[in-house]
Amino acid sequence: MTDVERSAATAADGDEAPAEPAAADLPGDTLTESLLEALLFVAERPLGRRELATLTGASPETIDARLGDLEVTLAGRGIRLLVDGDRVALATAPEAGLLIGRYVGREPTRLSAATLETLAIVAYRQPVTKAGVERVRGVDAEYALRSLLHRRLVVELGRADAPGRPILYGTSVDFLERFGLLSLGDLPLLDAAVAERLVTPDPADPGPADPGPAGDLDPAGDPGRAGIR
Amino acid sequence: MTLDPVSRPAGETPGIAFTDRRRPEDATRVRLPEWEGPLGLLLALVEARRLDVMTVPLGALAEAYLDAIAGIEDDRLGNLSAFVAVASQLILFKSRGLLPRPPAPAIPLDDEPDPEAALRARLVTYRAFRDAADRLAGPAAAGRQAVRREPSIAGAAARAGAVEPLPPRLDPALLVGALDRLAAVAPAVVPPPETIPRTVSMAERAAFIRAALVDASPVVLQDLLSGVRDRVVVAVTFLAMLELVKRREISIEQNAPWGPIIVRSVPRAGAPDPAGAPDPAGGGDHPDEEDA
Repeated sequence: MTDVERSAATAADGDEAPAEPAAADLPGDTLTESLLEALLFVAERPLGRRELATLTGASPETIDARLGDLEVTLAGRGIRLLVDGDRVALATAPEAGLLIGRYVGREPTRLSAATLETLAIVAYRQPVTKAGVERVRGVDAEYALRSLLHRRLVVELGRADAPGRPILYGTSVDFLERFGLLSLGDLPLLDAAVAERLVTPDPADPGPADPGPAGDLDPAGDPGRAGIR
Repeated sequence: MTLDPVSRPAGETPGIAFTDRRRPEDATRVRLPEWEGPLGLLLALVEARRLDVMTVPLGALAEAYLDAIAGIEDDRLGNLSAFVAVASQLILFKSRGLLPRPPAPAIPLDDEPDPEAALRARLVTYRAFRDAADRLAGPAAAGRQAVRREPSIAGAAARAGAVEPLPPRLDPALLVGALDRLAAVAPAVVPPPETIPRTVSMAERAAFIRAALVDASPVVLQDLLSGVRDRVVVAVTFLAMLELVKRREISIEQNAPWGPIIVRSVPRAGAPDPAGAPDPAGGGDHPDEEDA
């Protein structure tokens, strides 16, 4: 179907593409929590804060404030705000996971011990290279990482500024979903001594190459991961 | 003090009984919990003995570690070098513990970290992530999950009954009837042409050479084979020519490598014309006769 045919068909259906809203039509900094909730409700993918600011005309500060309000409002409800670093989405409450999983036919996530350990290392140390994972586990992590990438629980965030420019890995929004976490802050606490050591970056595991002024690796990565190390 | 496995209900920490003959870290036979990788094995050895990873002399576990490696099934030894690396460290620690060492200098000569402390730190780090993985997996296995609205979820919901049921299933007899009608109108299948193996015998090729020599002698072998493209025919003709030479029916001459092979008849006194002679290779009972 050509573009002309497609537009003709669309017009015949009475379903014309929405016109680009003028800047004056956007809520801007008068953006309310309910408008933001409606926008996230129809979104079929997580939206970045910058993208939300562009869509609504609101400032990043307003977006952050309304998201904070929405998170508080939704606490205790069946729908929650899921925060994957810079990106947000609406998701069902983790405690309803069994019921929803039965409805949509999604089996609980089951991983081998090796894959789970690898996933935990990526989750707590992201962004992390394959070598960084192997240093902790003491074995080759190729297969486990490949399996996690295949399951979309882990994603590539970019490349490290190190010899060979190794790939940096981090967790995905699917990881949060599958493990019933609303953000990386919901990860179980690590052993205190180890957690303290993780605050200081591992010199053998360099960070991302040229993270840019905002420090983000959008769309794959985001600055929200930097504090997890 | 020695250590013997004690049966415990499944799911509990492996049971261990201590006697006063051996120290627990020296015990080599305990029931190990599940483990993954070389650090996982070492940690399992420590935990199976209910020892504190921060204080246990790691060198004392060398023997148990080697025993455990020896007992691992082949399919779990994919990272053999990693196991060997840890084992070598343990043996080093053990040897240091056995041999007398010079007193440590008042001022350290270098700031090289203690390898045992480094391995212990790796164990602690590994244990932290292993335990975190367990805590992550528990709720997920029990069904705790968040679900976003997305097309794939909509599809899954549809499969789960959120759409109208499918129309009733078709009667298989209808399919059988349709297949019969299709078979009636479909053209008959033409079988592929049959391949018949061709036989080239030395007798045939010998007769061919003889016939050529009757018409004109001498002849050049390459000219005789000029129209032949089948390598087998060429090879059998060449062998037939050699057979005729052996029987002194013909002589051959080649003046240069890759040059023309000139074939001549060898007249024999009192012998009939070669073309009319009984076929020595055609009798079928000559030991050198072969079919190709």
